[in-house]
Amino acid sequence: MHFGILTSILLCPVIGMILILFTPRKSEQAIKIISLIVSGISVFLSFIAYNRFDPSNVLLQMEEKISWLPQYGINYWNGVDGLNIGMILLTSIVIFTGVIVSWKLNYRVKEFFALLLFLVTGVFGVFMTLNLFFFFLFYEVAVLPMYLLIAIWGSTNKEYAALKLTIYLLLGSAFMFAIFLAIYSLAGAHTFDLMTIKDKVTFDPAFQKIAYIGLFLGCGVLAGCWPFHVWSPDGHVAAPTAVSMLHAGVLMKLGAYGIIRVALFLFPQAAQAWAPFTATLATFNILYGALVATQQRDLKYVIGYSSVSHMGIVLLGISTLTVTGLNGALFQMFSHGIMTALFFACVGHIYDECHTRFFDELGGLAHKIPILSTFFIIAGLTGLGLPGLSGFPSELLVLIAAIKTYPISGIATAIGVVVTTFYVVSAIMKAFYGPLNKNFEHIKDIDLWQYFGRGILVAFLIILGVWPKLFLNLVNPITTYLLLKGF
Amino acid sequence: MMNFISLLHPFSLEIGLAIIILGLFFLDLFSVQAKKNIGSWAWGLTFLLLLIHLSNWKHFVSALSSTYVHDALSFLLSVFFLITLLFILAMSKSYRHRFERGHSEFYMLILLASLGMITLASTTDFLLLFVSLELITVSFYVMNTYLRTDPKSIEAGLKYLVLGALSSGFLLYGISFIYGLSGSTHFSDIARYASSPEANAKVLLFGFLLVMVGVGFKMGSVPFHFWIPDVYEGAPTPATAFLSVGSKAAGFFILIRLTNIFFPHFQNAWVLLFTLLSAITLIYGNLGAIPQKNIKRFLGYSSIGHAGYLLMGFAAGSTQGLHAVLYYLFSYLFTNLCAFWVVILFSKATESDEIADYAGLSKRSPFLAATLFIALMSLAGVPPLAGFFGKFLLIRAVVEKNLIWLAVLGALNVVVSLYYYLMIVKKMYIDEPQNPETIPLDPSSKIGLSIAIAGIIGLGIFQAPLLQWIESAVKSIL
Repeated sequence: MHFGILTSILLCPVIGMILILFTPRKSEQAIKIISLIVSGISVFLSFIAYNRFDPSNVLLQMEEKISWLPQYGINYWNGVDGLNIGMILLTSIVIFTGVIVSWKLNYRVKEFFALLLFLVTGVFGVFMTLNLFFFFLFYEVAVLPMYLLIAIWGSTNKEYAALKLTIYLLLGSAFMFAIFLAIYSLAGAHTFDLMTIKDKVTFDPAFQKIAYIGLFLGCGVLAGCWPFHVWSPDGHVAAPTAVSMLHAGVLMKLGAYGIIRVALFLFPQAAQAWAPFTATLATFNILYGALVATQQRDLKYVIGYSSVSHMGIVLLGISTLTVTGLNGALFQMFSHGIMTALFFACVGHIYDECHTRFFDELGGLAHKIPILSTFFIIAGLTGLGLPGLSGFPSELLVLIAAIKTYPISGIATAIGVVVTTFYVVSAIMKAFYGPLNKNFEHIKDIDLWQYFGRGILVAFLIILGVWPKLFLNLVNPITTYLLLKGF
Repeated sequence: MMNFISLLHPFSLEIGLAIIILGLFFLDLFSVQAKKNIGSWAWGLTFLLLLIHLSNWKHFVSALSSTYVHDALSFLLSVFFLITLLFILAMSKSYRHRFERGHSEFYMLILLASLGMITLASTTDFLLLFVSLELITVSFYVMNTYLRTDPKSIEAGLKYLVLGALSSGFLLYGISFIYGLSGSTHFSDIARYASSPEANAKVLLFGFLLVMVGVGFKMGSVPFHFWIPDVYEGAPTPATAFLSVGSKAAGFFILIRLTNIFFPHFQNAWVLLFTLLSAITLIYGNLGAIPQKNIKRFLGYSSIGHAGYLLMGFAAGSTQGLHAVLYYLFSYLFTNLCAFWVVILFSKATESDEIADYAGLSKRSPFLAATLFIALMSLAGVPPLAGFFGKFLLIRAVVEKNLIWLAVLGALNVVVSLYYYLMIVKKMYIDEPQNPETIPLDPSSKIGLSIAIAGIIGLGIFQAPLLQWIESAVKSIL
């Protein structure tokens, strides 16, 4: 067996967590440095994987297979293709910047970083595994530390938000797990290996229909699918900065990824049948999220609802079942991940400095903290789809696909984009321009280290905005292949 | 002489345990020095016994005209009980200060109950089964009332005595029915009778149902659960822990032996009975746990919920179901004992079992809080901990038998249970402590808890070794 790069990526945070557990509570700096190093290594390894990845090859690459409990169809089986290589990269970037952004954290540092790294292990695991058992296992590992991370280090109604988030996501995953078991037993697969199921099992059409929508909704809870999105704005607002970044940036993508990797992959015919329905839900996501965002007084809530709206674009892209739509959805997953991480990183700093996020009390921040404001505005412009930033190509692709397949949804999405422009611009106006609140005369802008952390994210937004092919080249061959083959 | 030894060979473990009990008795009588350290003596000798027993691996024999067997299953079960015993003995040392007198006797009672459990693991005859069950129950009658000045403990003991005696009565009544029909108390004779054409299935079923009352009392399934909350709260905590793991497991182990005899003959009734019992027990235990204020009572209700999960394995009625039950019990052993040990250590420092007093535990003792957190998460069934894999196996076994609604109920109850476990986690990690003093921990408890945690995580991630062992054990009784 050659060097298992995927497992190495997965093990980085695990090793970091174990090291942290054996570091004395008092040496906070050491804990932070350990986290930075292991997440740095995972970025490095992800880039090696990206480099080694051959986009023109539509088969799985860098596969690692260890038989775990063969009699139960459980195998530790990892692999990457165009669908998940980008997501692994995204995860490592967001956790790396997340650690940098949490550099000033001083409350129960040891537990925070240990839990954060544990959570990231789960995220990496979901993105790389090809076995449904491990998929579920990692999924839960990614979701559950959230409760403590929000409830201990959070703000604004944190206990309520944490419990709501946990219960919602758990119900969703219980549903998902039930379907996995049904695939295993009722459909007679008797294995959890995704690829084996795909090749060997033919599903009954009625079963497909139920299983697809069950998985769509089960994963959809995490993807923030309307009307199961209600946990997400509360959760994102209450969470501490790094956790919001990870959660909105990466975790919600787990849901969307699950829909593509499992539901769509196994049940393409049912996906076709349900597409009008799921497209409608996605349209509600886009419009509802955007409209509610216009009415918020809290800067973080605006971003929370914008995430709901932007995830709607992902779901709509998936529902179109076209190459353009899927490319757009995958691109949007990446772009939104980076963008939202930047958003939350900026809001986190504002809250640390001003101790408020309400528009009534903010204002004129651009004069005091110009660098951070610039970063926030760049994120905002990405959100509203300004050409030259990565939000533009991704939303455009989905929009083109949607107008062709579901004209009404397409038009609604276009309206959603307009509403997005409205709330983003008005949020920027209220928070960063206008008269400065007297209390905030002495707030400080970000230092060089924090500048570096957020700068990485900005760089990605710009690079992918001007050169979208960089990402599209990764996903296009596999989406084209899958759709041509009818999955 | 050789003959005599070979006659005794099947009982080597039981005899060893009895020798330990007698030895401790004499140590206690004649040595003041040893009297002080009787707990360590008991632990050390039991550990030695476990090592000897493990080296006896694969010496399978039967005795007493095969009413007493040493097969792979009884080997597995006796290891289960010995591990439980070691944990209970170790945690009793932290509880010692609560007893005014009779320290050494408490250890002997624990050992005596385990002797009952270990004989129960090997018996294939109703008479022996009854004797070993009574040995367990009578030992618990005494252990539960051990806090003689505490009215709650007296109440616990009395409640256990009355209901225990009643359930034993039912059990005996059931056995007499079965004996009356088949003319034997031996399991294989009964199985032979049940499959013969002249078998009176209805009366046999009635007898089995009566036996189930006695077994259900041990398992703590609804509607035989009434004693659980009060007894769990009132009994000394090591006894509670032992009840929740050892005694409960004993009930399930009886049922595993009985599955073979009865399941093939009245499958429909069996599946109906156990799906209903499992569903009601699940719902009752999990909803009952939500409003609890005392941690022992809380764990009592949660243990009812776990009995509901375990019954799912019997509802499936398949070998996979039995694998799942055994795996679940092993994961439950580490998890629940870990939780109870934390409860003991906490009450040693604070004299309290109230959940409200757990506020801010993470600041007073990060280690205890983290340990209880992991244990509770494993009880809830969170991956990658042992409890998750046990639940996974159970739900899978049920789904294989097309009992989808039971599987969904099981999955939903995971969410409910997570809610109330998280309430305690919230208390420990988020609320501020009323009394910020740190809680001292002795190194031996720390090591013991670490072993339990290692068990929880180990069984959660590396399932293959134990699962293979269980599979071969279950194969031996088919």
